[in-house]
Amino acid sequence: MKKTIWILSLVWAAMGFLIAQAPNTQTPTTKAPVPQVKAGGKQSPAAIDRPKTVTEQTYAPAQIEAGKSLFSAQCGFCHGRDSAGGERGPDLTRSKLVAEDVRGDKLAPLIRAGSGEMPDFKLNDADMGAIVAFIHDQKTKFETLVGARRNVEPADLRTGNAMDGKRFFEGAGNCIACHSPTGNLAGIASKFQGLALMQRFLNPPRTQRPKVIVTPAGGKALAGTLTSQDEWTLVIQDASGTPQTFDKKVISFKIDNPHDAHFDLLSKYTDKDMHDIYAYLETLK
Amino acid sequence: MKKLLSLSAALALAAGAFAQGVDPKLFLNPPKDSWLNYHGDYTGQRHSKLTGITQENVTSLKQLWRFQGTQQIKASPILADGIIYLTIPDVIWAIDARTGKELWSYRNPPNPAFHIGHRGAAVYKNTVYLTTPDCHLIALDGKTGKVKWNVAIVDSTRGFWSTNSPLIVRNHVMVGVAGDFDNVPGILKSFDADTGELQWTFYSTPPPGVSDPPSGGATGGQMWNTGTYDPELNLVYVGTGNPTPVLNGPARPGDNPWTCSIVAINPDTGKLAWGFQVSPHDTHDWDAAEVPVLVDAEVNGQPRKLVMQASRNGYFFVLDRTNGKNILTKPFAAVNWAKEIDALGRPIPDPAKEPSRDGVLVAPNEAGATNYRPPSFDQKTNLFIVSAQDGYGIYFFKPEHGAYGWAGADYNLAGKSSIRAIDWRTGKIVWDHPIGDGAGTAGVLTTASGLTFTGDNPGNVMALRTSDGTTLWRENIGRVGNAPITYELDGQQVLVVGAGNSLIAFAVPKN
Repeated sequence: MKKTIWILSLVWAAMGFLIAQAPNTQTPTTKAPVPQVKAGGKQSPAAIDRPKTVTEQTYAPAQIEAGKSLFSAQCGFCHGRDSAGGERGPDLTRSKLVAEDVRGDKLAPLIRAGSGEMPDFKLNDADMGAIVAFIHDQKTKFETLVGARRNVEPADLRTGNAMDGKRFFEGAGNCIACHSPTGNLAGIASKFQGLALMQRFLNPPRTQRPKVIVTPAGGKALAGTLTSQDEWTLVIQDASGTPQTFDKKVISFKIDNPHDAHFDLLSKYTDKDMHDIYAYLETLK
Repeated sequence: MKKLLSLSAALALAAGAFAQGVDPKLFLNPPKDSWLNYHGDYTGQRHSKLTGITQENVTSLKQLWRFQGTQQIKASPILADGIIYLTIPDVIWAIDARTGKELWSYRNPPNPAFHIGHRGAAVYKNTVYLTTPDCHLIALDGKTGKVKWNVAIVDSTRGFWSTNSPLIVRNHVMVGVAGDFDNVPGILKSFDADTGELQWTFYSTPPPGVSDPPSGGATGGQMWNTGTYDPELNLVYVGTGNPTPVLNGPARPGDNPWTCSIVAINPDTGKLAWGFQVSPHDTHDWDAAEVPVLVDAEVNGQPRKLVMQASRNGYFFVLDRTNGKNILTKPFAAVNWAKEIDALGRPIPDPAKEPSRDGVLVAPNEAGATNYRPPSFDQKTNLFIVSAQDGYGIYFFKPEHGAYGWAGADYNLAGKSSIRAIDWRTGKIVWDHPIGDGAGTAGVLTTASGLTFTGDNPGNVMALRTSDGTTLWRENIGRVGNAPITYELDGQQVLVVGAGNSLIAFAVPKN
């Protein structure tokens, strides 16, 4: 019996395939109504609200397990073995009918009678009950899936040694060339915590413009801050705030960008260094 | 060359009467008045034989026309029969190549799929093809924009989207999809170019329900970029994307074939001939979807059929494209994630650089050492020229993140980018042309007159001297979002560049 249904569904699927792929059709294929996208999950087209299950139901694990293999063999070809839709059949975890169904009161008659392109399945009550149990269980499971980027907690980052971090800060990292725990870093851990603190010391925001000294050929050196540059031109703001543009071919110049030291360290830190510095900075409350 | 011609002749005979529009045999030897697919030909070298724009006259390039689009252009334009086809997500424009004026446009109905970008259209006979974010493949009349047919590639609500510029071989329209926020299999499908009927499906990772899957439980490996084709071997080469769950490595032990791989597929059957994993067991989102560039050259005095890829993971690969055996593996950008190159030529990931609860500092970052922007190959100088980034990021995973979709978190920290010229024989960087902070967006085009056309991060389109990377010409037109194309129309070589929201044509004015 199972075999017959399987073959029948194959034949039906093949027919459906031919109809759906009919050549030279001028009509675009019908599309499902545009569903709403859940806030925060926008990147995934699958993060679409599912209709809420009207009546919560629980099923015995054994029944769900039995339903899983029945569903896979008899329904999976069209609806996907996980019931979340296949190439021919819709995603049942997003089905309004499934959401409104209570222990098969709506699903069983439809499965037995068939619907539209879907053939009728003559199942006994036990098999039908198992399939219904599996479908409801899958809906619950899919509702809990989140595919988007996940969280990082401050406690996750606390694996370093603050003393080693201080040693790196004062030694190999040469952070003390620009920073002081009692000066410009005083209270840094009160202002920034967790991931924000870690990102900040690895790649701080560029709040200060680089300092630049320009010496035109045969001219006097001029100090200012860098506005922009490309391969050919250098634009600075001089001490009076006046913008000046230079052709790089006719000047010599020196840029002092404090940010460069942070970028250069990225290729030198070990993961231990990174966590040690974090631990050290966390002590600067 | 002789071989190629006889093959074209055989194909022409097989095709019967000369078809109108773009006969598929034209792809084997593209005419100079066209740019028939994403790469301009089947090799992916993105190298033009045109020499009308020279190192001497390049400084007098002037704008011929400008077509104003509605968002950043990330596609390569396609040119056939005097019409340029340009795409953004859900939209295709047909533009008169002589005037830059719109001839027609088509808009796919609004849909909630991921609208990340679009790489371009494809042409065959009188038909132009558009993939959509909601994973439809739409065939339109190239002259009128009237829809001929519209088929679903896959069900986009499962977590797929498509940005793909299809690869067409004979009557096979091969389309890929994307999607790594959900655990979905890697799918490449071939549709009949005339009817839209499905011909075959290739899975880089198995669909649900396969017991003991060879991928070790990994899904993903999407083939979202355009492949290349060798007519003699009758093999299509495609790069596959990262595995899912993306950052959770323990959930999918082993190498996870064929994710982050170059795969060779028979275009008539969809069967795999061979695969080479450039990142076994990737846990950093480093799709190997970058263009597999086909080159015929000598290795140790022997003529060889090669495929080359500068991969997002920071390594440059040269393989024998008849069998997938490795010839060279060398880093071309900052890398700190591999502990060795194994006997097969694969970088083997250092477990210490897998995403962790407290975070690991990794080069490259998620944006990659390179990405979708196409490279170019110049046979004369032996240079493989690519937009490269030395970038750093932090990667996190803890069991609470689960095993679905991204399954972790990562953050780009900083990067510096260059146009970098690699001598393919040694992997040595011959020149490095800085283009600014962060990842670049421009691809590369080279021409037989020794010019390299690309863009920098401040928004210049540039012509560099291919031999040494010196700038010969530039113009600030906004961020170049893919690679320029070039063609000759009415006796004049034209350069077309997508920058910002515009498509701009340049030429040396006729006297």
